[in-house]
Amino acid sequence: MKMLKRWCAVLSLVLACGVFSVAAQQPSPQPQPQPSQQNNDWIPINQLPPQEQMAAAPLLIGAYVFVLVVLFAYVFRVARRLQSVQQELDRLGSTLKQGGRA
Amino acid sequence: MPKWFTPVAVMCGAMLAASPLVIASADYESTMGLVQKIFYYHMPSAWMFLIAAMVCGVASIRFLATGDPRHDRTALAAGELLVVFGLITLVTGPLWARKAWGTFWIWDARTTSSLVSWMIGCAYLILRRYGGPGSEKLAAALALFGMANVPFIYISVNYWRTIHPATTVVPKLPFTMGFPLWFCVTTFALLFVVLLKLRVRVEEQQAQVDALYLSLDER
Repeated sequence: MKMLKRWCAVLSLVLACGVFSVAAQQPSPQPQPQPSQQNNDWIPINQLPPQEQMAAAPLLIGAYVFVLVVLFAYVFRVARRLQSVQQELDRLGSTLKQGGRA
Repeated sequence: MPKWFTPVAVMCGAMLAASPLVIASADYESTMGLVQKIFYYHMPSAWMFLIAAMVCGVASIRFLATGDPRHDRTALAAGELLVVFGLITLVTGPLWARKAWGTFWIWDARTTSSLVSWMIGCAYLILRRYGGPGSEKLAAALALFGMANVPFIYISVNYWRTIHPATTVVPKLPFTMGFPLWFCVTTFALLFVVLLKLRVRVEEQQAQVDALYLSLDER
């Protein structure tokens, strides 16, 4: 039941991310500037005015932090599980030994 | 644990810690700039995602053919890694795409097939967790579909119209970008091996615990 709740939480998080990404793709209602005569086809992204450029650093830092957090969380979870199974194995081994002596 | 495990785990940890410095020394890509550096974690994790699907599928075939529980344990460990590396790939890719393509997600052949493969991995783990007795064989059959999807994911960019880079990009990289990439690929490959071994070890210990409980019940 606890695991089911955890899975539900993970699925809700994935759904929330999906909704967020769809919402982020919606164009914001901003007044469109009139294209000038010289530049009415396209503008290279590095020649855009500063207010229309998107900062790359938050995306890059977000990606690296996410990777490291996921990896550390997984390693921590597996190490804890290994430790608890090892303890259970030791406990059962000693119980069996005591039973054998008796 | 085998003798090689500790040195490999230490080397993997050191390489993972050093990887941001190696990536920082890489040249900037001329059109995408800074955000392109997500590539150095995105692509190795995508490769490990595909390798995990292959390992899970091959181990499942061997389990179905022989019934040996060792193969089942390997398949389960690889299934978990499939979901972990798949999640990393599916999150870092859209963060890169937001800047490079102007949108988080495009339903092209590669992204869609990668998402399908990740969902097959999730279904595999859910089936293993809640499927009850005998779910191992059903899950093993599901893993075959995950493995069958791998070649499709890899070649999809060469055969379908997409803005995803083609598979010919990596061999053409200059040394200043190729070295950080192969450094990260080696790091992630070592990480994959270490995590797979660790996860298989958990399952082996759990099998021993189950066997001991059975022997206690028989007394």
